[in-house]
Amino acid sequence: MIDALQNLTIAWFDPSLLMLVALGTFAGIYVGAIPGLSVTMAVSILISFTFSWDVYEALSLMVGIYMGGVYGGSRTAILLNIPGAPSAIATALDGYPLAQKGLAGEAIGLSTTMSAVGGLLGILVLAFAAPAVSEFALTFQPRDYMLLAILGILLVGSLSGESLTKGIFAGALGLLIGTVGLDPLTAQERFTFGVVELWGGISFVAVMIGMFGVAEALIQLRELEMAAVKQTISRIVPRWSDVRKYLPLSLQTSAIGVLIGALPGTGGDIAALMAYDHAKRVTKDPDVPFGEGAKEGLVAPETANNAAIGGAFIPMITLGIPGDAVTAIIIGALFIHGLNPGPMLMIEKPDMFWFIVGALLLANVFMLIFGLTGIRIFTRIVEMPRAVLIPLILMLSIVGAFAVNNSITDVYWMLGFGILGYFMKLYGYQVGPVILGVILSRLIDENWRRAIISDQESLPRLFQGIVTSPLSLVLFIAVVLIFVSQTPLWAALMKPFRTKRTPPPDA
Amino acid sequence: MGPNNTRKPGEAIFALLLALLSLGALVKAYGISGFEGLSSPGAFPMAAAAVMLLSALVVTVNTLRASRDSDTEMFRDILPANAVMMAGLILLYAIALRPLGFLPTSLIFLFVSTLILAKRGVIFAAVVSVLSLAIIYIVFRLVFSVLMPEGVVPEREILAWIARLASGGAE
Repeated sequence: MIDALQNLTIAWFDPSLLMLVALGTFAGIYVGAIPGLSVTMAVSILISFTFSWDVYEALSLMVGIYMGGVYGGSRTAILLNIPGAPSAIATALDGYPLAQKGLAGEAIGLSTTMSAVGGLLGILVLAFAAPAVSEFALTFQPRDYMLLAILGILLVGSLSGESLTKGIFAGALGLLIGTVGLDPLTAQERFTFGVVELWGGISFVAVMIGMFGVAEALIQLRELEMAAVKQTISRIVPRWSDVRKYLPLSLQTSAIGVLIGALPGTGGDIAALMAYDHAKRVTKDPDVPFGEGAKEGLVAPETANNAAIGGAFIPMITLGIPGDAVTAIIIGALFIHGLNPGPMLMIEKPDMFWFIVGALLLANVFMLIFGLTGIRIFTRIVEMPRAVLIPLILMLSIVGAFAVNNSITDVYWMLGFGILGYFMKLYGYQVGPVILGVILSRLIDENWRRAIISDQESLPRLFQGIVTSPLSLVLFIAVVLIFVSQTPLWAALMKPFRTKRTPPPDA
Repeated sequence: MGPNNTRKPGEAIFALLLALLSLGALVKAYGISGFEGLSSPGAFPMAAAAVMLLSALVVTVNTLRASRDSDTEMFRDILPANAVMMAGLILLYAIALRPLGFLPTSLIFLFVSTLILAKRGVIFAAVVSVLSLAIIYIVFRLVFSVLMPEGVVPEREILAWIARLASGGAE
């Protein structure tokens, strides 16, 4: 316990780590807020710049950016009706109407405070649940890991995209990319075409930067001109009565956020939409109708998406299975630093876990501080024209891809994936599942082989193992359900129950 | 869910290309170890490639069945001049990065792309590109100490000279 506390506070009392968390959070808020820059983009580019650092320093920066970025997206959602990040889509629904009424400052203040509340609850759950989950995870069979990882990819593919088939394709593509190189068990060459450089596989940093940096920047080029709306900022610090009034709701939506965040493959964007939906259902008579500036509609998604951060770290740290694209990238960063997220991490390096929790708490505090100050300067910075921004992103992408291995080959890979990602995004294929696939490829491959070898290469025996273990069975049913839910058969079955649902907004 | 009701220009070709790519990957994956066993090195890549092929085929069929989206045009929405040009520019940037070095290549790249995209004249582009390159250089090269190809600029000598100057001034 003393040890845990000590590790928890490492970042608090080390000035340079403290600075890095502050810097990360600050940068995250702006990155998240500037439309065209995303947290995923920033974190994937930054991995390559921080890989030579000490792991604590690198993590401090990334944790800060993640926390700040999820929050920052709400700013532009409120001020410009442009969600800076997918997790802020629901925030725009009621945040922008509030700004139109001249209450932008109040809306920002309330969303900041509530984000901090949500973030704090998420972190607390992480701190208490993760040790238990990782103990439980020690009982997982290889087949459970395999099923869980597949479930994660499927969830990302089905919930964020326009069609599950395209999501499945993207996930499988990622898995395939991850298998390139020497087979970790037998050292047999896979997809190397006899090229020695490919023995080590395709650098996942190149894939990430290509898909989230270059592809995204090219997509943004299609809408260069976008007028920024000037807003008057009035009161910023929220009313105490408001905070007290919405606290019960925020506790509920935080719970939703943590749960959704903790499911492998689902993150803040889905949590925010579900929380918004929840708020709409439980608020019997709002002062202002939803969609026209109801504060409930602002509080719910903002608490949920920040609570989802703590949640997303749970499967990442305890199982090595990322909760969303950003945690997938953070897993990548941990790999680079020679750490292996999974149940053993908690046992072998509990200090790392407590350090992350501490850094998250710190980032949450900084988010509150930066969030309630400097809003006026902020509105200037987000007006930075994309014509200036996009060349910078492209340049940083190249520099970032080069910096990891000092290899120009990585740059070409990165560009290749950038072009592929551009067309995939354009034609409605999600790139999130690709990254999850690349990260999880090895885990699935190894666990599949362990599982099938321990069952003497017999599928029926494997299946018998799945049906007789409650955990495996639940996971298996979940995987099957996701598949079936996307087939015409399911649609026919559900037709009588179906009510009109709004289509998920483009992420 | 399900098939889109409309398809964008080039969408069907893209889907078909993905299907072909998947087929190629499947053949290649079979080549790793064939149907040797469920735990062979090739089993998982084959499964991944098979899933890719299957889903790509479903997407292709759905796309072909969808009607043509009349609101999007090939050269305005799918391959707008800006995107094609920038893609070309970054390719050139990548090629020139090593021989020419980070500083000159980046400066030219930033200048040209800002000039084209912002349409605000030479002076604006020059000021913006020099300023942003300076910030990036300070942050990444000096603070993060990321090593970039030096190329034709004797960067290290200049830095050492500045450092000497600074320490000389301090004495």
